[in-house]
Amino acid sequence: MLKVEELTCGYGKMVAVNNISLAVAPGQIVGLIGANGAGKSTTILTLAGLAQAIDGRVELNGQDITHMPVHERVDAGIALVPEGRRVFAELTVSENLLVGGTRLKNWQIKQELQRVYDMFPRLAERRNQMAESLSGGEQQMLAIGRALMAGPELLLIDELSLGLMPLAINECYRVLEGLRKKQLAIILVEQSTERVQQVADHVIVLETGRIVWRGTGDEASRDNTIVEAYLGLT
Amino acid sequence: MLFIELSIQGLVQGAIYALIALGLVLVYGLLRILHVAHAALYTLGAYFGIIIVNAGGHIVIAIVLSMVLVGLIGIGIYRFAYKPLLDKPPLIALIASIGLFIAAEEVYRIIFGAYGMSFSQPPLQQQIELFSGFHLSASRICVVILSVLFISILGWLAASTRTGVAWRATVSDPDMAASFGVDIERVRHINFFIGSALAALAGVMVALLSNLVEPTMGAVPAYKALAIIVLGGLGSVRGTLIASLALGIIESFGTIYAGHILDRDAIAFAFLIIVLMIRPQGLLIRR
Ligand SMILES: Nc1ncnc2c1ncn2[C@@H]1O[C@H](COP(=O)(O)OP(=O)(O)OP(=O)(O)O)[C@@H](O)[C@H]1O
Ligand SMILES: [Mg+2]
Repeated sequence: MLKVEELTCGYGKMVAVNNISLAVAPGQIVGLIGANGAGKSTTILTLAGLAQAIDGRVELNGQDITHMPVHERVDAGIALVPEGRRVFAELTVSENLLVGGTRLKNWQIKQELQRVYDMFPRLAERRNQMAESLSGGEQQMLAIGRALMAGPELLLIDELSLGLMPLAINECYRVLEGLRKKQLAIILVEQSTERVQQVADHVIVLETGRIVWRGTGDEASRDNTIVEAYLGLT
Repeated sequence: MLFIELSIQGLVQGAIYALIALGLVLVYGLLRILHVAHAALYTLGAYFGIIIVNAGGHIVIAIVLSMVLVGLIGIGIYRFAYKPLLDKPPLIALIASIGLFIAAEEVYRIIFGAYGMSFSQPPLQQQIELFSGFHLSASRICVVILSVLFISILGWLAASTRTGVAWRATVSDPDMAASFGVDIERVRHINFFIGSALAALAGVMVALLSNLVEPTMGAVPAYKALAIIVLGGLGSVRGTLIASLALGIIESFGTIYAGHILDRDAIAFAFLIIVLMIRPQGLLIRR
């Protein structure tokens, strides 16, 4: 479904990620891990159209989207849950979701909103509250809900658990499992390895913009020491 | 009676400042550019108003046409002056804007003449009795009504339509808005159209009030509007509206009670300087 071939990308002409290839199928989670500055966000942002592909090719459902402008990618089926959540602080919860559903027709809005509220009852209770007044966990749910409003086939999640309490992290991962069951393709970026290894079908380790290890989630768990060595943890 | 009269006078002036400053704060919020050339559109709006009426057009047509034309020219300024400079430091766009403003004054001088322009038969001059013994010219009433009307429409647009929500999302985080399919360019065009059209409305209103339009009439409002949006908290629409009204009222009362020491504009700037010294972050604190 998503096929990334020998992608080199970065900001303007500045290269941050070199020659990476990966693929994701519906119902699959690909985990992308690596130390600070490894290029995880750059990879995700390039797929979302917010950083630039410099060389290589990105294909989604057979369509070449390597250089597709950012605002058209949502129609191709891509939605982003960005690093730091980046909810629209001075918009209400429901307005944030509305922006997520920018490409929906008027008559679809209500039903899609309800779908997100069913998934995240806490957002429903706070629908008229400013996004900036939500807790970190609630903001992450809002960021996920906003992305789901776009009805994506490919969900790009950058740092799902960053700065969240264990309870909120558990909830986020429960949601993630649910989305996988609904046949979404997911690329999940995390700094910590443990959760990713459990949930991911494939794990890719990045170091200074290059893939240095790849394998299944099980292999990653078994080779834990290798993976952690790459992350500089041991 | 004097109190009411001065208050209304201040309200009328404040409404005009608000119409001008709104476009400025909208552009600042979206692009972080100080759009000095905005005041040139106010002048142009005034010229269009007078030209259309003198050519036999009804004042309503003059207002609408002037707003639409100037709105389109505002889009043109974005497309050809600011858009190519967006990836440069904001200072570059500011300098371009100042250059554009000065150039516009000269263009007006060449096209419309250096000595200004007036209505051959100024419309809306009849005095209307609001309540016993209290008269106000139709043009002043018109200023207040139209300002309230258009600012309310703008508020409704921003709060209650999908385009308005997309607009505010773009102000908050353009990249994220774009990633959900918001067409950022379209938002910017709408932004410039509305801001410029409001400036044109202010221009026609001032033409009605003073019956004189000159190439340089934008200069003082340009400075004042800049000070107003700083006072309003740079980026806050509500703060800008409050600051505009405050300035209008202060000017109006100041001219009567301090007019023998300072002239109108000096009072306005003294007020702006003092307030900015006390509250450099603006009147309203942004959350
Ligand atoms: N907007 C930008 N412009 C230029 N260079 C950038 C930009 N953002 C990141 N970089 C550079 O690109 C490289 C990769 O950064 P990236 O944000 O992708 O790392 P990351 O793996 O997401 O790290 P972290 O775990 O800290 O989020 C770094 O060297 C960084 O300095
Ligand atoms: Mg990152």
